Amino acid sequence: MAHSLSPECTPLKHAYDSCFNTWFESYLQPAVAQNANATPAQRTEYSKKKAEDFETNCGGVWREYKACVQKAVKDRGLSDLLEQARDEHPLKEQPSIPVGPSKT
Amino acid sequence: MHFFSQNHTYDHPWSHVIIGMWHKYPNPHCTHVITVDVVDRSVDPQTGVIRTERILGCKQKAPTWVVKLFGGSEDAFVREISFVDPSTQRATISSQNLSLSQFASCFEQISYTPASATQTSFVQTAEIQARMNMWRTAADKFEGWLVQRFEQNAHLGKVGFADVLRTMWENKSPQNA
Repeated sequence: MAHSLSPECTPLKHAYDSCFNTWFESYLQPAVAQNANATPAQRTEYSKKKAEDFETNCGGVWREYKACVQKAVKDRGLSDLLEQARDEHPLKEQPSIPVGPSKT
Repeated sequence: MHFFSQNHTYDHPWSHVIIGMWHKYPNPHCTHVITVDVVDRSVDPQTGVIRTERILGCKQKAPTWVVKLFGGSEDAFVREISFVDPSTQRATISSQNLSLSQFASCFEQISYTPASATQTSFVQTAEIQARMNMWRTAADKFEGWLVQRFEQNAHLGKVGFADVLRTMWENKSPQNA
């Protein structure tokens, strides 16, 4: 796993990444598999349950890590740059797929 | 303004590539990426879409003229926003430079979509532009250098990610052996 930008946050980051990865791996494949036959209601029910699992399992370590990394971002003088970047490209919704070179 | 794009097909199912996304760094092909931090993440309980905002810290030597003209150091930071939508099997990653952003902008977009049950299509585009408020010759030269560096890193990123996926999945997916 890659380090955090502040060495003091790295242990929390690794704990959080591990928690996320475990959750994500249990989430993704069933979510993809149910595409074929789940109703929208079943899909929403699954998403809601897994979102709650994520909060239950990883919410605590996330808040500790987030507090640490927010301080690190500030200490490295990145807060203003991050805010400007968010203003320029909010990216609140998923963008459309980029159009690449043609394969001809 | 310079445009860059490349396509690639990974010989792994979409879900394997998307799980692998979070294991791309550290990577011996991409030693310039030193740190990766999540600064925001949400799981939409309605749609199941995961949105992640990360800051990547890179360390790469810059030519003396770049350092003299633009200041700065070897440290450069990038903001990255990714979306993973399991229902549509669409993953997108958008990145922009934080460092030197007063002089130039680099906006990169990547998507991973299924090409077949066992293959994933990768499309990467980027727009690189020096900001107009500086001396033209310097702006052109600076933009040229940024493009060259971006292209090198894009190539290394693709090769490096292919290795990560191979290592992660070679013992787990005998149908691809």
